[in-house]
Amino acid sequence: MDQEQLIRQIMAEVMANLGKDSVTFQKKSPTPGGSIGRDQYPLGEKMPDKVKSATGKVLADFTLDKVKSGELKAEDFRIAPETLEMQAQVAESVDRDNLARNMRRAAELIAVPDDQLLSVYNALRPYRSTKAELYGIADELEQKYQCKVNAAFIREAADVYEKRGRLKVD
Amino acid sequence: MKSKRFEALDARPVNQDGYVTEWPEVGLMAMNSPNDPKPSIRIEAGKVVELDGKQRADFDMIDTFIADYGIRLDNAEAVCKMDSLDLARKLVDINVPRAEVVKLTTSMTPAKITEVVGTMTVLEMMMAVAKMRARLTPANQCHVTNLKDNPVQIAADAAEASLRGFAEEETTVGIGRYAPFNAMAIMVGAQVGRPGILTQCAVEEATELNLGMRGFTAYAETVSVYGTEAVFMDGDDTPWSKAFLASCYASRGLKMRFTSGTGSEVQMGYAEGKSMLYLESRCIYITKAAGSQGIQNGSVSCVGVPAAVPGGIRAILAENLIAMALDLECASSNDQTFTHSDLRRVARSLMQFVPGTDFICSGYSATPNYDNMFAGSNWDADDYDDWLIIQRDLKVDGGLVPVLEADVVAARNKAAKALQAVFKNLGLTEITDAEVEAATYARGSQDMPARNVVEDLKSAEDMMKRGTTGVDIVKALSKGGYEDVAAAVFGMLKQRVAGDYLHTSAILTRDFEVISAVNQPNDYRGPQTGYQISDEKWAILQNIRQAISPESI
Repeated sequence: MDQEQLIRQIMAEVMANLGKDSVTFQKKSPTPGGSIGRDQYPLGEKMPDKVKSATGKVLADFTLDKVKSGELKAEDFRIAPETLEMQAQVAESVDRDNLARNMRRAAELIAVPDDQLLSVYNALRPYRSTKAELYGIADELEQKYQCKVNAAFIREAADVYEKRGRLKVD
Repeated sequence: MKSKRFEALDARPVNQDGYVTEWPEVGLMAMNSPNDPKPSIRIEAGKVVELDGKQRADFDMIDTFIADYGIRLDNAEAVCKMDSLDLARKLVDINVPRAEVVKLTTSMTPAKITEVVGTMTVLEMMMAVAKMRARLTPANQCHVTNLKDNPVQIAADAAEASLRGFAEEETTVGIGRYAPFNAMAIMVGAQVGRPGILTQCAVEEATELNLGMRGFTAYAETVSVYGTEAVFMDGDDTPWSKAFLASCYASRGLKMRFTSGTGSEVQMGYAEGKSMLYLESRCIYITKAAGSQGIQNGSVSCVGVPAAVPGGIRAILAENLIAMALDLECASSNDQTFTHSDLRRVARSLMQFVPGTDFICSGYSATPNYDNMFAGSNWDADDYDDWLIIQRDLKVDGGLVPVLEADVVAARNKAAKALQAVFKNLGLTEITDAEVEAATYARGSQDMPARNVVEDLKSAEDMMKRGTTGVDIVKALSKGGYEDVAAAVFGMLKQRVAGDYLHTSAILTRDFEVISAVNQPNDYRGPQTGYQISDEKWAILQNIRQAISPESI
């Protein structure tokens, strides 16, 4: 705990001295297999200046006053795909590959509107969809929101449902 | 003539419970069933072609999902061939580190891990739980509900529960359409008691996700999975739909865990003649395969079934252990009522209470049992002092701390008032001063004035239509003068941007620092290692209000 507080303090001091756009404090953007791991965790405490919301706002700049003034809105409290990718890397650094895979599926789904997400979930329930309908949903997610992993996952579900007789019968 | 001894025994509470003899053919057997499959795994070209005696062509949906996602394959064939007794010894042995065991257990098949824990006594399992629990520090979770869905009482009970030490709080509804109010009330109340408490509202899947997306809840738990395909279909889901749902939650920065438990399959009539533990191990593998960070298990709402058969409470501990061995967060049940006997209910809970789990109860009823809308709990608000004194007797940290009456009354009052302000500023139904007063001193809903349910439901529905979010609750609190509570709810919303609490076994401190199995992993290696009660904490746990100090004599 003390160590974490120390690191946060150092981070804060470094940031104050450098300013946010300083070239000497460049961090490469997270890439798969990149440098994020358990040492950077919790990201919100150790690198709030590098964590952005889905709307592009920097976590370190989030204040209660900005909520009250209306500068921060509900949509600003949405996680960004880049953040989930970093969290997936943290999960991998502690050998939790399944959790990382879930986080990467989730990163793709951030762009999908709430209502559509709920309707895809419902379509995946047993006896709700034909194989063609599920393939159609996969295509739409892939084309409209670049959900490659999820699209493959939904097509795989459709194939399994077909084999097990769990599709909607027309 | 009737024996007086037996007459007295027959009148004991324990004899009001139901018991059945084992019946392996229909799955009425806790563990070690002769019908459980023998462990096996065969991998060809990186694909599992045989799992626990079944060929891929014969796989059902669950087999397929587990084979494709649930098992670490690089060493799986070798681990399957290892002696199960040797593996069980590694689970118990303080000289084998947790990380080394996890490499082995996550390579096992469901039948293999069932066979491994099947060799262990409850004492050995408890030793293993002390080592295999993912988070270093144990914690506890409670239920905050009431018969009338009274949101003022929920806020007050939630505040008290936070003060008493619960790290997570869960509500549900009597009437479904009350869900938004209950979710709001538990969140506001919990943050009054202690900032950083995670709250949830257990309702139908789509509604639950919707409440989370809006920022009314921080996590979800009732994402149920089952061990046979037939029961899964009855539950109206598939492993794929549930895995997708898991990703939906993470995509909105919400913590989530699955739920399962021994006895659900036989209760629903499709146990395929397998033991309860074997079927439960399949649930835990589905959870792992879906990428959920954790699971609530330990029979949960089916506890009456394993509790009725021989070795059933042992099987419940075994399923908790399997979850932990698969490196999952484990909220270890100890919730639904299963017995009339106080002795039995304590014995059942000691299995998790003594070694400590991520959440010993999931949950402990923060109300009297008559108000518990999860069909009652093994522990309730009337047992608070019993729990505290058992902690003190055994020097065990069971997640609760002693509190003073004045502090509880003050927190309950503030929570009720804060919710009153939120309702007022969001243009919802009125919360009267009389209700605030009643909630402040109430034991349960019998002490609360009735609300106008029709008006409440209309108001809640209207609020949902207006698109009210957690941000609006922050503003309403601030406008009402509850700046500290506004800051706490804001702190909770901020968590979803960072996503740190999506990791295994995450909870938050009062300063919103994340504690999880990433930055505080369990490192138990025998006496004086792992989680140790600090002197400071021990002083708190000792200091119960009933104790007479030498100075006072």
